[in-house]
Amino acid sequence: MLEVRGEDLPGLFSSCVLALFSLLVDRRTVRGTEIRAVEGAGETAEAQLFSLLREALLLFAVHKFLARSARGTIEGKRVTLTLAGEPFDSERHSVDREIKAVTAHLMSVKRLPGGYLARFVVDV
Amino acid sequence: MRFQDVEIRKLSDTMWEIPREGGMRVPGLVFASEAMMGDIVRDEAIRQVMNVAHLPGILKHSIGMPDIHWGYGFPIGGVAAMDAREGVVSPGGVGYDINCGVRLLRSDLTADALRPKLRELVAALHREVPSGVGSTGFVRLTAEDEEKVLTQGSRWAASRGFASAQDIACTESGGALPGADPDAVSAVARKRGRDQLGTLGSGNHFLEIDEVAEVFDDEAARAFGLFPGQAAVLIHSGSRGLGYQVCDDYLQTMADYMRRNAIDLPDRQLACAHIRSPEGERYLSALAAAANYAFANRQLLAHQARETFLRFLGMGPNDLGMRMVYDCGHNNAKFEEHEVDGRDRRVLVHRKGATRCFPPGNAEIPEPYRHAGQPVLIPGDMGTASYVLAGAPEGMRLSFGSTCHGAGRRMSRTQARSSVRGKSIVQEMERRGVIVACASHKTLAEEIPEAYKDVSEVVDVVHAAGIARRVARLKPLAVVKG
Repeated sequence: MLEVRGEDLPGLFSSCVLALFSLLVDRRTVRGTEIRAVEGAGETAEAQLFSLLREALLLFAVHKFLARSARGTIEGKRVTLTLAGEPFDSERHSVDREIKAVTAHLMSVKRLPGGYLARFVVDV
Repeated sequence: MRFQDVEIRKLSDTMWEIPREGGMRVPGLVFASEAMMGDIVRDEAIRQVMNVAHLPGILKHSIGMPDIHWGYGFPIGGVAAMDAREGVVSPGGVGYDINCGVRLLRSDLTADALRPKLRELVAALHREVPSGVGSTGFVRLTAEDEEKVLTQGSRWAASRGFASAQDIACTESGGALPGADPDAVSAVARKRGRDQLGTLGSGNHFLEIDEVAEVFDDEAARAFGLFPGQAAVLIHSGSRGLGYQVCDDYLQTMADYMRRNAIDLPDRQLACAHIRSPEGERYLSALAAAANYAFANRQLLAHQARETFLRFLGMGPNDLGMRMVYDCGHNNAKFEEHEVDGRDRRVLVHRKGATRCFPPGNAEIPEPYRHAGQPVLIPGDMGTASYVLAGAPEGMRLSFGSTCHGAGRRMSRTQARSSVRGKSIVQEMERRGVIVACASHKTLAEEIPEAYKDVSEVVDVVHAAGIARRVARLKPLAVVKG
């Protein structure tokens, strides 16, 4: 299970997506030369996070893009993350594990004094 | 034995019943020894067996195998049979890696003859059999090929010269599930799988060279082409990104279906739809397509392994004698006929981390093995052993013709990594007499033998319970890991 903290929801969502990419690769080896956007939507913070993480996983699984950094915005029920990164290059990036999916298993977003805490599980 | 506030009833030395309570439609049944049960009740797998018992149309029992452990929604090592008319189908009851499974190739070589060349042979297999994240297969699929892979499975591989008639005959369901519809597979799922056909993947997937270390049942072993001291190849892989995405896509479809139809279940990862609903039928068509992809994937891996052996050893196919023993999946949902309450019923058997295991005489078993029972392949951890079993009659009465699928994890991946910090797993495995070639050392650390239960104990339980019987034990000599 991954536990991620953020000062606010956009920061929390950005950190969750970066945590996902950190499971794949040492992000220090990823250059921020290209920009991609991922969007998530939902009625609750958990639903928004789930939708966002699923999209972020496909960015690598389908489009072979690795993210180095992220910045998030929320408008109503929609979250948008702008990701800086680059395409996967087998010469420079060592991808440690395959992530099959982001699961809804035990997923939670909680408000804490001074910020937020998210928990989620990925299937590897 | 207690699990939280639930008293679990001991039925025999290998069977435990979880009584019905609350919304459970049937009791739970777990196959385990007393010692194993003591471990099993420490995590949430028993709760998941109970949750699965809530599913509409479930028959007889929600079943746990001795390798059971905590999964997402359904436990891994779980079996649930649903009435084909009234019941539901659940993608979580199959798992993300649809038709993940194991294939065993026998040979005419002895392990002793191979040992002096083993290191170079493993290096060649590691080069020729694509493994690890980002690897791509040796076949470039056209759109037409892709459709055929999804509908014909291993038979597509045969049409391209990558499979023999014997390969097809000795693959579960002849290497192709009926009812596959490529249109039920999303464009995203197809993209995830497009370059991955013929790749091993990572995690617990592997290609192993084994020695037949012990034969328990001479007659069955002879039927399967196995003899003591023999070298064999064991392959474990599945439907790669295509299967993962089919499961992910349909979990969302089913969640919407449940909201619309007011189906209330204790865990949202049990998301399901009635088998006869459009959503259920479409998932089953996508499931069959992904299962066929997995059959074709293992067929290409076997082809690459065989070709590498032939080239490396400079032998002809007849001298090598590398023929299929069997290929069986352990993440699937299949329509089968089973006796329930004294009459034959058509049921959909979900097996998630469980293997179909039909007894002698069953018409689904390839003719040369029919008198011995269906071969069942149980991979253990990379340092200990794997087993070849055969179906036994009690399996049909007790577990819908199902048995275990492996050792089952004892440690989480994080725990496994922490426990080996600073050690060289490759050297440690060499000390145990196993040569390892791997794509990722982090993955290797997560797959140490200590991370798994003792596969021999798991097999002892299913043998003693009469749902499968031991045929042979395989000892790993060399492993290629993703």
